[in-house]
Amino acid sequence: MVNMDKILVVDGITKEYPGRTAVSNVSFEVKKGSIHGFLGPNGAGKSTTMKMIAGLLPATTGSITLFGEKVEPEKLKMKNLIGLLPESAPLYLDMTVENYLKLVAKLHGVKETQLQVDKVMTELSLTEVRKRIIGNLSKGYRQRVGLAQALVFDAPFLILDEPTNGLDPQTVVELREFIKKLAANKTILFSSHVLPEVEQLCDQITIIHQGRIRASGDLQEIHRKFRQGLVLKVGIGEYETLPDLTTLGKYEVTQEHIVGKEKQFHLVFEDDRDCRSEIGKLVISKGVNLLTLQVESPELEDIFLHMTEQKK
Amino acid sequence: MIWTLWKKEIDSYFSSPLAYVLIGLFSLISGTFFFNLLITYTDGIQAMPQQMTEQISFVEEVVLRLFANINFLFLLFIPLITMKLFSEERRLETIDLYWMSPVREWQVVLAKGLAAFTLILAMLFMTMLFPLIIWGVGVKDFSLLGAAYLSVTLNACCYISLGLFCSSLSANQIIAALLSVLGIMFLWMITWGGHLNSNYLVAEIFTYIGITSHFERILRGLIGTQDIIYYFTFIFFFGFLTVKSLSRRNW
Repeated sequence: MVNMDKILVVDGITKEYPGRTAVSNVSFEVKKGSIHGFLGPNGAGKSTTMKMIAGLLPATTGSITLFGEKVEPEKLKMKNLIGLLPESAPLYLDMTVENYLKLVAKLHGVKETQLQVDKVMTELSLTEVRKRIIGNLSKGYRQRVGLAQALVFDAPFLILDEPTNGLDPQTVVELREFIKKLAANKTILFSSHVLPEVEQLCDQITIIHQGRIRASGDLQEIHRKFRQGLVLKVGIGEYETLPDLTTLGKYEVTQEHIVGKEKQFHLVFEDDRDCRSEIGKLVISKGVNLLTLQVESPELEDIFLHMTEQKK
Repeated sequence: MIWTLWKKEIDSYFSSPLAYVLIGLFSLISGTFFFNLLITYTDGIQAMPQQMTEQISFVEEVVLRLFANINFLFLLFIPLITMKLFSEERRLETIDLYWMSPVREWQVVLAKGLAAFTLILAMLFMTMLFPLIIWGVGVKDFSLLGAAYLSVTLNACCYISLGLFCSSLSANQIIAALLSVLGIMFLWMITWGGHLNSNYLVAEIFTYIGITSHFERILRGLIGTQDIIYYFTFIFFFGFLTVKSLSRRNW
């Protein structure tokens, strides 16, 4: 029985080249209707994995199942299910935007070519440059054309390899909003180096490093797993002293700094138990002004650096 | 699908100056050859006693030499046309656009081959002025001219097929072009090797494998089944190798 809630199942794929292994025993799943973030430093194996999912490269071992069917480079009918924007978009620089998109639509057997091309150009604000040669466009517009080629045949599954890389902030915001809208009726596998962007867009993530999966699943779940013990931000008056809290459990002060007229501490309790109310009572009972008391979640960046062993 | 791919290639040729420059240059050089051959022929006729002039054949001295020269020009022009067909697409990674689409390798190879062939036909079309001039000087044997055109067209198809294969081997256009030139020269040299070999069987094999003997037979209007089989086998063989070379990415 195929679980259609999982659009994509990557099961233990390995890609070996002579003398090196690009990805090793990679497994993860992508849920229907989600934007799944795919994170990893340069050379981690993201693009290779994405190309294997798109059927551009065969896996040495393992299997990839999309919509319940095994992905293989020779399976032509799968090609209309996957819209891929590779890191380097396959653009013919000597063609006009419109002709290029028409070519892609025809290659995918789109019946109403002009209608579909017009629709995608409107969605991506390409109408005004439709007659322009792609080679003469700015990087932002070229990236939009690249995204348009992945969308023009209305594939239900999109693979976007660093779509906002190197673009100006305005274009990044526009594209991000557009990708969010796309998730309403498409499933998206999305790689990016911009971690706040991933946090903003994705509900699920997979972290890959040196060709191996370091974490995969629900973003909140990964946050929770990564958090070892309870991290609290406690703010008191600028000239006050934080009372001893050891009666509530063993803890460590990892950060201390002044923010305005407030002295803030980051406390890491060994125990995961939420003891905020006791802390509140204890601090106030000592006559200290309690200005801030909140649970701190680790930033995705912390998790990413931890997983990819780059933290010093 | 093949029509879509062919049209894309043709648009690509004619949207850049390359096609126009190649056609112009080819017309100029082949025209110069034709002019020189005519001058040499008429000078030769005028310098000879009247009774000997019939021994010099216009067809032999002008028509056959002209088409042999056009065949030689292909050594330079066809690698220039075919070198970018796969090399550039691999270098720019645009070839992935095809592999992301429901398109078979053979369809891409056939479309690119046909597009290159169309450009060669456009070049040969520019030489159609020569038959008119030849007709003007009294040569009415158009079947011979047809055979001559057929011979260079078939050779062009072989060179395109070889050029496509070379282009699929490397992402570097210069290497692809050099491989094509060396490949075409090798095809010519095999025939010469056959002529020089004293062993009858080896000589026959070399002569059959080489392209020159087939070209010369058809050029003289002697179109045999073995020649047609040779050309079609050659074109299909290198087309097949190109498809296999492109399929390497799936290994």
